[in-house]
Amino acid sequence: MLDPFRLLEALLLITLLAGLLGLISRRNLFLKALAMDVMGTAVVALFVLVAARSGLRTPILPGPLLADAPEAWADPIPQAVILTAIVIGLSIQALLLVVITRLARLDPLLDTASFEQLSSGSVAPSYE
Amino acid sequence: MSETPSALLIAWLLAPLLAAFSAALLPSLARPLALLSALATAALGLALTAGFGPWSLELIGPLGVLLQFDDAAAPFVLLNGLVVLAVLLDGWRQRVPGPFLVLVMVLLAGLNSAFMAVDLVSLYVALEVVGVAAFLLVLRQRSALQLWIALRYLLVANGVMTLYLLGVALLYLRSGSFRLQALADPGLGSGTRAVALALLLVGLLTKAGVFVSGLWLPRTHAESPVEVSALLSGVVVAAGLCPLLRLSEALPMLQPLLLLIGLASALLGVFYALAESDLKRLLAWSTVSQVGLVILDPAVGGMYALAHGLAKAGLFLLAGRVGRDLNRWTVSSLPLQQALPLWCGALSIAGAPPLLGFWAKEGLSRNLSGPASSVLLVAMVGTAAVYARLCLRPLALPSGWPPLGTVLLALLLLGSGLLLAPLPPQGSIFKTLGVLAAGVALQQMLELGRRFESPQLKLPQLERLDDLLGGMAVMAALLMGLLLQGGVQWPA
Repeated sequence: MLDPFRLLEALLLITLLAGLLGLISRRNLFLKALAMDVMGTAVVALFVLVAARSGLRTPILPGPLLADAPEAWADPIPQAVILTAIVIGLSIQALLLVVITRLARLDPLLDTASFEQLSSGSVAPSYE
Repeated sequence: MSETPSALLIAWLLAPLLAAFSAALLPSLARPLALLSALATAALGLALTAGFGPWSLELIGPLGVLLQFDDAAAPFVLLNGLVVLAVLLDGWRQRVPGPFLVLVMVLLAGLNSAFMAVDLVSLYVALEVVGVAAFLLVLRQRSALQLWIALRYLLVANGVMTLYLLGVALLYLRSGSFRLQALADPGLGSGTRAVALALLLVGLLTKAGVFVSGLWLPRTHAESPVEVSALLSGVVVAAGLCPLLRLSEALPMLQPLLLLIGLASALLGVFYALAESDLKRLLAWSTVSQVGLVILDPAVGGMYALAHGLAKAGLFLLAGRVGRDLNRWTVSSLPLQQALPLWCGALSIAGAPPLLGFWAKEGLSRNLSGPASSVLLVAMVGTAAVYARLCLRPLALPSGWPPLGTVLLALLLLGSGLLLAPLPPQGSIFKTLGVLAAGVALQQMLELGRRFESPQLKLPQLERLDDLLGGMAVMAALLMGLLLQGGVQWPA
C-alpha cells in the first residue's frame, strides 16, 4: 500500500529537481528565474506537507473551539517558518526581475552567452 | 553561563537596523549613525573576545529563535565592526550617497545575526538579509557589468538557499527541531543526517565561497566597487564561515570532510591567483584559497578569519588607489604612505611574523599532521608567492594624506600581532621563514616566465554562469555521496 505522504513527498522532490535542472540547463535568463521559482514552490509545498502530517485543520483557534475534543490540527511551526521564506522568495524574485528587465535592453533575447562577454567598459542600459 | 542581559542584547541586535531606517528618513544623520553602529559592533566583539559572556538568548519558546553570544561568534563580530569602520573611514572625505550607508548598516545587522544564530531558520533569514544587502551594494554604480555580476550572485545565492531550506525541512520532519544541535542527535537516522547535512553544507559552503561552490566569488569581488569588495571579501564570506565552524564543532565527524574540501579550495584559489595579472582578481582568488584554510579547524578558524578579513579588506581598499594592472607595477612607483599599509596586509596573509596572520597560521599548522599538513605547506608557499608579488614595487616619497581606513587596518594587524608576541611560537620560526623564502623564489621564477612571454599555461575558464550553477550542483552531489557512505577517512 502506497503511503500518500511518501508519494506527495516524492512528487515534490521531483518538482524541485526539475527546477534545479531547468536552472542549470536553460540559456534564457528569464527561464532561469522561472526555474528558480519552481524550486522555491516545491520547497514551500514540502513545508506545507510536513505541517499537514498531524492534521489538516488550520491552526487558528477561535475561542469556543478550545474546549472541543482534540482536533487534527496542522502543525503551525513549519507554516510560520515557510511564511517568512515565501516573503523573502517573493522579494528576491522581484529584484531578479528588475535586473533582468534592465539587462533586456542590452540583449532582448536574454541569452546568457551575450552577457558573459560584458567587460568593465560596456555601456550601461538606461531607463529613458 | 552568566546571567543574560536580554534587553541589552536585543537592543544591540536591533540598533543597526533602527539606525538604517532613521538614516533613510534623515540622510544627514547617516554617517554618524553608521559610525556608531560599527563601533557598537566592534565593542561587543571585543567584550566577547575578552571573556565576557557567553550569553544565550531564547525567543518565542524552544522552537523559536536561539542566539548565542559566545566564543565562536566573538572574532567574527569583532571583524564585522572593524571592517565596516575601516570602510566608513576610508570614504570619509568623499561624499557618500545615503543609500550606501543605509545598506551598510543593514548588512552589519544581518551579519551580526548570522554569527549569533544557532537555529537554522534564524540563520536562513539572516543569510538572506546579508545576500540581498550585498546584491544591492554590488549594484552601486549600475553599470551593465555590475548588473550582470549582481544577477549572477543573486541567482546562485537564492538557488543554494532553496537547497538549504530543503535540508531544514528534512531535519524538522525527522527530529521536530530547527536547532543546529539537533543534527548531532544520535536518534536521527544516519541517512537522514547525511542528506540534511549535505544540503545545509552546500548552502553554507556556497555562501562562504569555498571550492567549486565558490566559483561565483572571484568575478563578483573583483568587479564590485572597491569599498564593496572590501566588505564582501572581508566579512560577507564570514556569514557562511561562522555557522560552518559551529557545525564542525558540534559534529566532529564532519571535520575530515571539511579538511578535504578546505585544502582543495586552498590549492584551487592559490593556483588561479598565481596566474592572475589583475590586482583585484588576484585578491579575490586568494580569498577562495583563504576561506578554505578557515574551515580546516574550528579551534583556530575564527582567529584565521579575523586575520584574513582585516588584511583583505585593507588590500581591497588600497586596490582602488594603486592601480589594478599588475604588469604596470614594475614601471610605476608607489608612494610610501600607500606602500606601508599594503605591505602590512600582504605580509600578514603571507604569514610573516609578528603580524596577526602569522599567529593564525601557527595555530593552523600546529593542529594538523600527516598528508594534510604537507598540502597546507604547499598552499602556504603558494600564498607567500602571491603576496610577494605585491610587495616588489619601486617606491616614491610620500605625498598627500595617508588612506585613513587602511592605516587603521594595518595598525590593527600589527598591534594585535605584537600583543600575542609574548606567547612562545609553537612551530619553528625557521620553518615560517623557509616558507616565505620559498614563496619569494617561486614568485621570481614565475616573474621570469612572465617576462619572456613563454607560452603561458592557459587555465580553464571556470566563471561562466553555467559553471557557477554547475559547481553548486556538483558540490551538493559530492557532499551527499561522501556523507551517505559515512564521511571521509584521512590516512594518519
